[in-house]
Amino acid sequence: MILPIGPIHPGLKEPLRLKLQTQGEKVIKAEIDYGYVHRGIEKIMEGKTWQKCIYLSERICGICSYEHTQTFAETLETISGVRAPLRAQYLRVITNELDRIQSHLLANSTFFKTLDHETLFMHVLALREYAMDSLELLTGNRVNLGWNVVGGVRMDADERHFNAILENLKKIEDGFDRHIALFEEAPIVALRAKGVGVMTKEEAIKGHAVGPIGRASGLKHDLREEHYTYKDEFDFKPIWRKEGDNYARTLNRFYEVEQSIDLVKQAIENMPKGDIRTPVDIPSGYGEWRNEAPRGEVRYMAETNGDLIKHISIRTPSIMNIDSCAKYMLKDVATVADAVATYASSDPCIACTERVAITDIDTGKSAVKDFFEVK
Amino acid sequence: MLKKLKDIVRKSSIHVCIVNCGGCNGCDVELVALLSPRYDLEQYGIYVHNNPREADVLLVTGAVTEQWRDNLRRIYAKTPEPKIVVAVGNCPQSGDVFAQEGGRVLAPVSDFIPVDAAIPGCPPRPSEILEAVLTVAPGALAAKGRAQDARKD
Repeated sequence: MILPIGPIHPGLKEPLRLKLQTQGEKVIKAEIDYGYVHRGIEKIMEGKTWQKCIYLSERICGICSYEHTQTFAETLETISGVRAPLRAQYLRVITNELDRIQSHLLANSTFFKTLDHETLFMHVLALREYAMDSLELLTGNRVNLGWNVVGGVRMDADERHFNAILENLKKIEDGFDRHIALFEEAPIVALRAKGVGVMTKEEAIKGHAVGPIGRASGLKHDLREEHYTYKDEFDFKPIWRKEGDNYARTLNRFYEVEQSIDLVKQAIENMPKGDIRTPVDIPSGYGEWRNEAPRGEVRYMAETNGDLIKHISIRTPSIMNIDSCAKYMLKDVATVADAVATYASSDPCIACTERVAITDIDTGKSAVKDFFEVK
Repeated sequence: MLKKLKDIVRKSSIHVCIVNCGGCNGCDVELVALLSPRYDLEQYGIYVHNNPREADVLLVTGAVTEQWRDNLRRIYAKTPEPKIVVAVGNCPQSGDVFAQEGGRVLAPVSDFIPVDAAIPGCPPRPSEILEAVLTVAPGALAAKGRAQDARKD
């Protein structure tokens, strides 16, 4: 029997159709229908200046909106061969990690909601508000921050901001151990999460899983290791686990939040003085840049013609994660309720995954292609 | 007597369905934040079910994409009377940044379904959404319900 879930469904935040092939309660196979939120951002960006495009790149995805602007700015910085000043790089790290904290906490609270564990859902969502407060304090906005520009950041921060952020982070840390223990040791939650939706390391490699989902299956890959700011200035090691089930994915995100708090503290402690923005002349050329968003690798490939963007291609992490979720995690899930929880644990974000599928009418073959492949 | 009772019940138990018809999901995130203990939507008698068949209020976010052209009308038709539609954010009103050359959006939402209230912002703050829903929903639902009852009589 094929059981459709979505596009509007109590368990899903965003529109997407899950088709579960079931035998009794057991899920044998899963298929995913995309295409509900395709807006054509790459096409809109063509022929516009970066000042206009950076707003569009922010609105690719509302949850990890910050990382998109940073990657966009760094792509154009690679084309023009400049780097943002050190103070701007540090401020970027702070905002990036705060964004990661709120995204991971939201993902985990959604997972608890699908498990019907209201207590943890509420507690974790309450902690997330402190991260949102810090973001608002630093940038002036809660979700779409408008904080990055090519060559630096828009506003400077001072001691008062940093002290308030540290206070907020302390509030998150205070409740944190208790909440992790609530999840880690409580038998009922662990029963619903342990051994459910397992994806092995081989499957993760085959399905191109990235980010915390890949790391929970044993892929020790975090692009922050390769980023120049993190490599040169910060003490950073990726967090990973072996199990590859819902339990591992959730815990991995929890521990990454702890690590992000530590990174923000490091950044505030060693904050250098200086400019926050350098003037950038963008030449014609091609450049690409990869960054670690909360959900995994974000990659921008851009071709510029002077100040204008000629072509741009954006690859976001969720498309690989949702694909590997459908192929491997949902393969042998015992019940439909667990299937929804497994889907939520893969932290899907639909807004950034949407692509145009090019269908050849004669052969009936369809493929998702981006500009640089077609060329 | 019964009518008064109906009024009270309609005002104090509002079921909400969030319909994301193609935005950046920033507004949806803010709607989830409304569930958190700080804002606590449920203390006002508002429940988020995400099921159009039992909803009183449709919270529409996002500029309408190609796929939602018919689906939006279908969801509206499935929602039982009395119902109101609140457009959250800039997208359902104008298409925001996506309503440019090259974009594939069909905003505004009011071309497809009747919209009772709109909250501007990209995204609006949770407190603004809460205030708007609380100002519009109970009164409008009760009024629409009374009109519906009058038609039946």
